[in-house]
Amino acid sequence: MNQLTLPIRNLYRQPLRSSLTALGVAVAVGGFVAMTGLTQGLRYTVDRGIEEPGADLVISQKAAYGLLSGSVPVSLEQKVSGIPGIDKVSGVLLNVTVADNDANIVISGWPFDSYLWNNVQLMEGRVPTSADEFGVVLGQSIAAALRKRVGDGVELEYQNYQVVGIAKFGTVLNQNIALVPLAGLQKLMGRADTVTLFEVRLSRPLDPDRVAAVRAQISAALPSYLVSDTAEFANNLRFERQINAVASTIGLVVMGMAALVIANTMLMAVSERTRELGILAAVGWAPVRILAMILMEGLLISAAGGIAGLGLGIVTMHLVSQTHMAAGLLEPYLPPALIVEALISVLVIGPLGALYPASLAVRMPPARALREM
Amino acid sequence: MSLIDLNHVRRTFDGGRIVAVDDVSLSIRQGETVAITGPSGSGKSTLLNLMCGLDRPTRGDIRFDSQPVRGGAKWARVRAERLGIVFQSFCLIPGLTAEENVEVAMIGQCSGVHLRRERALSLLQQVGLGDRSAFRPFELSGGERQRVAIARALANAPDVLMADEPTGSLDRRSSHLIMDLLTDLQRGRHTTLVLVTHDQIVAGYCKRQIELVDGNVVSDVTVPPQAKHVAALVPPAMGPT
Repeated sequence: MNQLTLPIRNLYRQPLRSSLTALGVAVAVGGFVAMTGLTQGLRYTVDRGIEEPGADLVISQKAAYGLLSGSVPVSLEQKVSGIPGIDKVSGVLLNVTVADNDANIVISGWPFDSYLWNNVQLMEGRVPTSADEFGVVLGQSIAAALRKRVGDGVELEYQNYQVVGIAKFGTVLNQNIALVPLAGLQKLMGRADTVTLFEVRLSRPLDPDRVAAVRAQISAALPSYLVSDTAEFANNLRFERQINAVASTIGLVVMGMAALVIANTMLMAVSERTRELGILAAVGWAPVRILAMILMEGLLISAAGGIAGLGLGIVTMHLVSQTHMAAGLLEPYLPPALIVEALISVLVIGPLGALYPASLAVRMPPARALREM
Repeated sequence: MSLIDLNHVRRTFDGGRIVAVDDVSLSIRQGETVAITGPSGSGKSTLLNLMCGLDRPTRGDIRFDSQPVRGGAKWARVRAERLGIVFQSFCLIPGLTAEENVEVAMIGQCSGVHLRRERALSLLQQVGLGDRSAFRPFELSGGERQRVAIARALANAPDVLMADEPTGSLDRRSSHLIMDLLTDLQRGRHTTLVLVTHDQIVAGYCKRQIELVDGNVVSDVTVPPQAKHVAALVPPAMGPT
């Protein structure tokens, strides 16, 4: 028996209460991990999803609120396509729509002659031609979810499209995407002269200096628009930033609630064990040692809850990302920094929650504690 | 040389309305056996608590080895290194075994889990409970619990054994066994023994007897020990070694 095993045994003496407290922490940590992971995953999936078909830079409306809300005139393509170092430019019109009145999916309109089609890896069928104004290529996941094969019809934007191809993508965004010809989508959305953004592919080979030089030239030619790489574009979306802020705030609140749950449990434990703590003081345990024991109990509960919460958060992220509401935008994403953040939070909230009960316990004179029943 | 000095120590409760200990000054020397006697409510347990640092005086000064001791941490250190305390109600931790109850007093004092365990088992053997080390307090009789408490009090080889009504919860036979054990341990280890009792027979085990009435020392006398030891009643396996 030592300073570590004694707190473990103390917790084990009230298994139900300890488990429920750990569960409370697990739910809080799980919620924090799931919310933060999904919101960071949204940014990650936008970044990778735009990059996947081969774009290096994105030209978008400055301070666009969300991924879908940008509006850029189609005519800008002429202004930038001649800039040295640019290989290809393609307008992209994005929206989230309901497919067959069933699932939310991202629909992306590309011109027939866009370079983006060249990087689509077809599993079956073909890409749309100028004869397929309402032809669609579905990502493999959404095709499977909707049970669509080449030749089937699918309703998008209240328009019947015909599935002409099914493509294999690596990113969750594109696995759940519907790729359609730009002109038809512009008609349906009433945006004949605008797109959401331009995806720019630079001439190869790439090097950072050249990329920076081309970016500077595009910015000079289009001072009212934002030129960014895909990661910056994803980071700069105000909607994502707001979601992150909301998630962080909710995360802080749930972590605070977890600390209160621990404080409540430890307060009960301390008040029940006042006499025992008096005994420890009587046999020579220093106040700081008693304090450390109670803090250790808080830490152990929150650590157990934290580890369970990580698992719960991962499971929740996967479940949420697979719902129809997620529209392929919510990709489970668990970067090491998020795990570290969750574990640090757990290491803080446990002792923090136990601090007040512990300080109450050591402030009481041992003689008084020994009189408690 | 005095080991414990109390100088004009006063302890009141309820904002001064209840005076438990009133201006007590006394000294206890190394190796003495001292019984603090008096009727119920005379303040003897409060006085013992003050001498152990379990309670703080409202006024006055308590010195250990001529050094004033103030603050919970300093008293905790004194209790850990110099004092062993035995309570009337045993004060054992219910969730721990007899061996663990002894061991718990050594955490922070004696490094090494195995060393602590060995010492705890050795002490339990000394108090005749070698075969009860894995028992929890509720599985032991009152006398056995008190012997566990004595083993715990001896865990860190204290200079002073303090006992608050150590036989108060025991029958007469167990009381004698416990007192014989305490006094034998005191003699064998040359420790100071301070005990609080309202029982004159138990007090008779000590040479010095301090009587308290209404928080005041009314007599402080040294007498030859009077109580008859009943070692013959102790089965050999349970006797102190």
